[in-house]
Amino acid sequence: MQIRVIADLHIHSRYSRATSQQLSIKEIARYAKIKGLQLVGTGDFTHPLWLREIRETLTSDADSGLYKLIGNPEVPMRFMLTTEACTIFNYNNQSKKVHHVIFTPSIDHAVQINDKLCKYGSLSADGRPILNMTAPQLVEEVMQVSTENMIFPAHAWTPWFSVFGAFSGFDSIDDCYQDMTKHIYALETGLSSDPPMNWRLSKLDRFTLVSNSDSHSFWPWRMGREANVFELERVTYGEVTDAIRTKDTKRFKFTIETDPAYGKYHWTGHRNCNVSLSPAEARKFSNICPVCRRKLTEGVEQRVEDLADRPAEFKDSNAPGFMRLMPLSEIIAAVLNVESPSTQAVWKIYNSLVDNFGDEYTVLIDAPKETLNQVVDQPVAAAIISVREGSVKVVPGYDGVYGKLVLSPPAGASAPNLLRGSVQQKNLADFW
Amino acid sequence: MFKLKVTDAKLLRDMATAISILVDEATFKIEPDGLKLRAMDPSRVAMIDFEWPKTIFEEYVCNEPTKMCINISELLKLLKRASKDEAVELSLDDKTGRLQVKITGKYSRDFTMPTLEASEEEVPTPKIAFNVKAKTTTQGLSQAIEDAQLVSDHVRIEADPEKLVLNAAGDLMGATITLQKGNDALLELEAKEGSKATFSLSYLAEIIKAASATSDIATLEFSTDMPIRIDFQQQKEGKLTFFLAPRIETD
Repeated sequence: MQIRVIADLHIHSRYSRATSQQLSIKEIARYAKIKGLQLVGTGDFTHPLWLREIRETLTSDADSGLYKLIGNPEVPMRFMLTTEACTIFNYNNQSKKVHHVIFTPSIDHAVQINDKLCKYGSLSADGRPILNMTAPQLVEEVMQVSTENMIFPAHAWTPWFSVFGAFSGFDSIDDCYQDMTKHIYALETGLSSDPPMNWRLSKLDRFTLVSNSDSHSFWPWRMGREANVFELERVTYGEVTDAIRTKDTKRFKFTIETDPAYGKYHWTGHRNCNVSLSPAEARKFSNICPVCRRKLTEGVEQRVEDLADRPAEFKDSNAPGFMRLMPLSEIIAAVLNVESPSTQAVWKIYNSLVDNFGDEYTVLIDAPKETLNQVVDQPVAAAIISVREGSVKVVPGYDGVYGKLVLSPPAGASAPNLLRGSVQQKNLADFW
Repeated sequence: MFKLKVTDAKLLRDMATAISILVDEATFKIEPDGLKLRAMDPSRVAMIDFEWPKTIFEEYVCNEPTKMCINISELLKLLKRASKDEAVELSLDDKTGRLQVKITGKYSRDFTMPTLEASEEEVPTPKIAFNVKAKTTTQGLSQAIEDAQLVSDHVRIEADPEKLVLNAAGDLMGATITLQKGNDALLELEAKEGSKATFSLSYLAEIIKAASATSDIATLEFSTDMPIRIDFQQQKEGKLTFFLAPRIETD
């Protein structure tokens, strides 16, 4: 019998910068269950205090290479030991800053990895340590501990700190990882890109695309907003990593994706100048901000177009599929027309849905329309169905600003405006 | 061979300043009848269209048309070394491809600087039927723009047959600056129809500040939601015109 496992394998602890100080293992488990996850990364196993909390609150789950809460059997949440590390190094006289996700099957393995990495930077300074080493060196050190370990580039397209980043990345995985590319089996697409965008690069065909939240809090509009869906005979570290390594679509069924426009770096722009541009518009301005006249922060869509060798509609039929969703709290906030998904009015509707259907993913993916209508007001039910059917729009995110969900207008109303701001700069070429 | 000489360094320095606000690398067309430059800033929001006839110079030699591209900021650094009444001579060394800058006055200085690969792009000017033409004092226009900058980063310029109005609206504050027919700052106004267009204040302010050193009178031409053309009447001969693309206001 196959067991469906929804897994978010890249999150952070309270010891990473810009994270919620309430992030504890117990809170992660609590909200992961509400979200509908069955497997979640611990994050930050490289941090000594977080590793101590892992030891104190988790116990090995029957030698599966996964962990579960001590003395709390009614919460069947499994944890995988994971971390993210930042390597800073020079390549062809350019400074490169690349983030990587690391999986490991036991605390003993984690301790051995930490013993190696502490030579390259302080592990206690940040839950996501900054290491003065090259990307291939990091892979070599991690794989020397055990070939069961897994390492791959994190949020592969974001402008800063990623393998393909416009500011400090590479044009190919091989340039980044050199002879250690043989140990790279996956890449994390990040919020601002989705599988179809990555399929446009034939050189990525041999990598499995994974999706995680990179969440800095346990709130359900952050954790699990992107995830991986497996169907496994046994829920073990080996089964999960092998399904990823072999790109086995029988076991790795699909990824859960937000609309890539929801990501903070989908379009090109300048946050402080309130300038957000599609790739074509940004090229018209020669990637120079029309307000402050400095170089724009190149968005992921434009960066993908720069490197793509296939058309936008190309589909990789050998890859796991994907399902496009949005966090339920964001959907409710859009219906209520409130800025924040954390308001009490949003929570009230959210809780009633989760109480009725069990968890958020069930609400988003499986709940029948008729039953939704019995639980919440019709506009909320309709919005959930619209997201499920892909008939919503998202005002694209740019330069650190999240995209904004726009619900379909009622019949007869005009289409939503997908441009940000009230004033859009034109270009002289528009008048030739 | 190309060579020019001015007896007042300020003339060259002010012009180089006006060009440098939009362009880093300026490709000049050097022709027997004078010097020309038409270029856009890198984001293609603004354009400078500049011409100096040879009669403006004390000495001007051009045997055959050519192009010369220079880093305008670097040239400006050299020109800033010259006092107001010192003479400046520019000449292109055909053999080395370097520009020689000679400053003479209290003493003599000879600088050389490299020329760059000239742009082959022929930039057209926007084709626009302007409905409004307003002639203002450059000082009055400059002050109106400074007023608007207090409250916003963009300004809507409107005109009807009686007045030219600048409206700026920020998040918290607003400003309306009115130049009525008969005001000292507004010298002439023709409006075929009421028109309005919005422009970036940072571009406008920089353009007007730089050009005001070369001109006392500015002529604005615009139509609704179209680029504005600002012509700065030169104190001697020549042409200094800027085009600036509009910002479109949406709901």
